[in-house]
Amino acid sequence: MNCWTRRQFGYLAGAACLTGLAPRVARSQAKSRVVVIGGGIGGATVARYLAAGAGMIEVTLVEPKLRYATCFFSSLYLAGMRSFESLTHGYETLAQRYGINVIHDAAATIDPVAKTVALKGGSKLPYDRLVLAPGIAFKFGAIEGYDQAATEIMPHAWIAGPQTELLRRQLESMEDGGLFLIVAPPNPFRCPPGPYERASLVAYYFKQFKPKSKILILDAKDSFFEQELFQDAWARHYPGMIEWLPRQFTGGIKSVDVKRLSVETVGETFKAAVVNFIPPQMAGELTQQAGLADQSGWCPIEPTSFESKLQPGIHIIGDAINSGEMPKSAFLANSQAKVCAFAIAAALTGSDRFAPHLFNTCFTFLAADDAVSDAIAFEPTEGTIKISEILISQVGEDAERRRQVVQAANGWYAAFTHDVFG
Amino acid sequence: MTQTIANGARRIIALLMATSPFVFVAYPGAVAENNRGAQLAAMCASCHRLDGRDEGIPTIIGLDPKKLIETMEAFRSGKRVSQIMNVVARSLSTEEIAALAEYLAVQQRGSERP
Repeated sequence: MNCWTRRQFGYLAGAACLTGLAPRVARSQAKSRVVVIGGGIGGATVARYLAAGAGMIEVTLVEPKLRYATCFFSSLYLAGMRSFESLTHGYETLAQRYGINVIHDAAATIDPVAKTVALKGGSKLPYDRLVLAPGIAFKFGAIEGYDQAATEIMPHAWIAGPQTELLRRQLESMEDGGLFLIVAPPNPFRCPPGPYERASLVAYYFKQFKPKSKILILDAKDSFFEQELFQDAWARHYPGMIEWLPRQFTGGIKSVDVKRLSVETVGETFKAAVVNFIPPQMAGELTQQAGLADQSGWCPIEPTSFESKLQPGIHIIGDAINSGEMPKSAFLANSQAKVCAFAIAAALTGSDRFAPHLFNTCFTFLAADDAVSDAIAFEPTEGTIKISEILISQVGEDAERRRQVVQAANGWYAAFTHDVFG
Repeated sequence: MTQTIANGARRIIALLMATSPFVFVAYPGAVAENNRGAQLAAMCASCHRLDGRDEGIPTIIGLDPKKLIETMEAFRSGKRVSQIMNVVARSLSTEEIAALAEYLAVQQRGSERP
């Protein structure tokens, strides 16, 4: 059984169905069990692609939330250009059409020896392979004064959901002429263009409704992704509204005071009307406890299967991995999930494997009718994953081209979320 | 043993094809394959819906494979300009493009994997 290819099984199962033999085939074979923890982009994709096809793998997806809100495109919501509802996606299609066992609970512990996952609700799930797609966690305590409680006053809004809605409410109730302060995190972090896209789109909102307001970005870095594209757009669309201060200027972020709504750098204290504090990040829940993350805080993986280098039989995908030259993006989580699914299917069912391909595209909005994108191909080489091809939008492109990127971005969102959630 | 079963399956299919072509034609939608073309097409599905719907990004299913190969060659050489497609086409081998074109050509509206 194990050495059949999936296609051979498919032929047999298909033929058997037609001749009334299907139940016997199904009953006589114990299916392999894969448990996926985390129903974000990576987790939902890997579950879907494992469940797709001949049904040789029983897939369980563990996710506490009933609906998932995408972090990508959430700054369009902050700018009033998209509803929050349009960012959220349920798991009904994955359960009903793809036969995935969706459990709305949280994983508590992993036992890699017994190959079981204990859920907070009390049940225990046995697995042949485990996939973790835990996303990011925040390093609370890395900056003095910024802890879990502080997120209610100075939202990070870097995991989409109530945090994003809170930030929107704060921006809406801010008086015209107020200062909106964004603290941008050190590398590596989820969505490299994200903080700067957020600044652009909030500026777009301010320009219409609160034109005297300002935006200040206090950065933990001295440079950022697509910097020239952003700075060109800020000068064209929002002259004088956005100021970016690199680490070398401020000396770095020291602490926050949630009562005074202020952020202290080495050289100066900045008081704002609204603070969006995006903290330093590490691999998400369970990875540290299960011994899957190394001292970098991220999970090292085998580049062609996304199997952990520290715990065999456990695969990790998405933002939580130590990903070589791959940025932490939803597009890549989806791309990695497919490579991982085909590797697991090959290991468990003997289906064919082919050279993996990994791609990334980030669509980044600078204004309602101005967006840029990048396209990157990656190759696993020498135990890591490196960029093999890259094209990025350029400063000086005409307005029509930028409008076309906006159109492509909206089409992409629809197709991409369909690919992930069905 | 394995080979025997698989060969047996092929014989059953051959018989079915001879006697009931309509039933067989409906089959690919019922049980998805996991071949090279299908695995490559999974990558396309990050942007192109494989159920034939076009919501701003063109559909790529049901096309003449020769035309799709020509298009990919044009993206690869840069004769056609598209940031994303130029990168994708340059990352695929000629054999991969052929396998992909063959797979996508036979996908039908509404018969999305699985």
